[in-house]
Amino acid sequence: MAAVNINKEEFGQLRGGDLPVLVDFWAPWCGYCRRIGPAYEQIAEEYAGRLVAAKVNIDEEGALASAEGIEVIPTLVLYRGGKALGSVVAPASKAAIDKFIRETLGQ
Amino acid sequence: MSKTHVYDMIVVGGGPAGYTTALYAVRAGLDTLVLEKLSAGGQMALTQEIDNYPGFEDGVNGFDLAEKMQRQAERFGANTVYAEVERLDLSAAPKELTTSEGIFRARVVVLATGANPRELGLADEAALVGRGVAYCAACDGMFYKGKTVAVVGGGNSAAEDALLLSRVAKKVILIHRRDTLRATKVYHDPLMRAQNVEFRWNSAVDGLLHGDKLTGVRLRDVRTGETTELSCDGLFVSIGRKPATELVKGQLALDDGGYILADETTKTSLPGVFAVGDVRTKPLRQVVTAVADGAVAVQMAEEYLAGGD
Repeated sequence: MAAVNINKEEFGQLRGGDLPVLVDFWAPWCGYCRRIGPAYEQIAEEYAGRLVAAKVNIDEEGALASAEGIEVIPTLVLYRGGKALGSVVAPASKAAIDKFIRETLGQ
Repeated sequence: MSKTHVYDMIVVGGGPAGYTTALYAVRAGLDTLVLEKLSAGGQMALTQEIDNYPGFEDGVNGFDLAEKMQRQAERFGANTVYAEVERLDLSAAPKELTTSEGIFRARVVVLATGANPRELGLADEAALVGRGVAYCAACDGMFYKGKTVAVVGGGNSAAEDALLLSRVAKKVILIHRRDTLRATKVYHDPLMRAQNVEFRWNSAVDGLLHGDKLTGVRLRDVRTGETTELSCDGLFVSIGRKPATELVKGQLALDDGGYILADETTKTSLPGVFAVGDVRTKPLRQVVTAVADGAVAVQMAEEYLAGGD
């Protein structure tokens, strides 16, 4: 399953759902956000059924980004049971995203 | 692919050198895999506009060019796995690569790991990345809209970063150890003309001032040793690059700068191991010189696989 672009309402619904939600806060002008794109899509596929991989464009959802305390992009935030468990800024590799998910959900 | 599969060639790194190697290799009939830790392009992927790569008369975005190179190699059968290489055994037969996605084996390994920005090496530098300390103006410049930023360095990339930031930030302060720029002339005039660019010559960054975020830097005058403090919201470090050769230390001969010793043939000190692009000792590191290495490496690899050297 591909990573889905979501807005504030969808974010609210997903966050309250059963599966953990990984959100990539990004913007079209951010070069590094594009760079993590292919790895993020693969994460979305590999974790399908165990985790929802979503994306929030901070240019379109500025209020949501500030409400979630996003100051730098790309920032990935992992939510479960309605709350943020942890975040990682500009991960250097797909392996770094994997590690972040494993360690955060393992807590 | 099964765990026992042995590729003809594994290319480590998916920048311009890596994917050109893969393109030539698959077109030569070699069973080829590219291992890339994040996405195609390497350093080039973070370049907003490349104006000196022939064939793109209006310039081309680095990430777009990277994806084109990847698709071109994949069109002829190259495979990509997004994996971080953790260990290389280059003397084994076949050569063995331990990665975050498992173990891969190949008869030939081409190293296209490139180079990364050099750090200042100051206390708290790593902790302040993303909180005021940055290495890529094209990536992070937009966060400093209307703010004051400093750029440290005197080469082309520092000059380019300062110019780019001058269009976004309120004020840009360029900090350089010498009293003139090393940057190519084309950058001088626009920088000197920019109303909001100031220069701190003969100065080195000595310390980072911060709470949660960077608030300024401590500068040391390299002639007098006198230190001063400079307030800024961001510091862009642009003091050159260092080769990504941690994985091959102790296995391959490196030069004094840490680059892999290999001449125009791209042959390294081990048979069947080649080095292409920025990671190799060379006089000029550009996309055009990187892609040229890829073509040569495949020629040499074919000779090696055919039993010669």
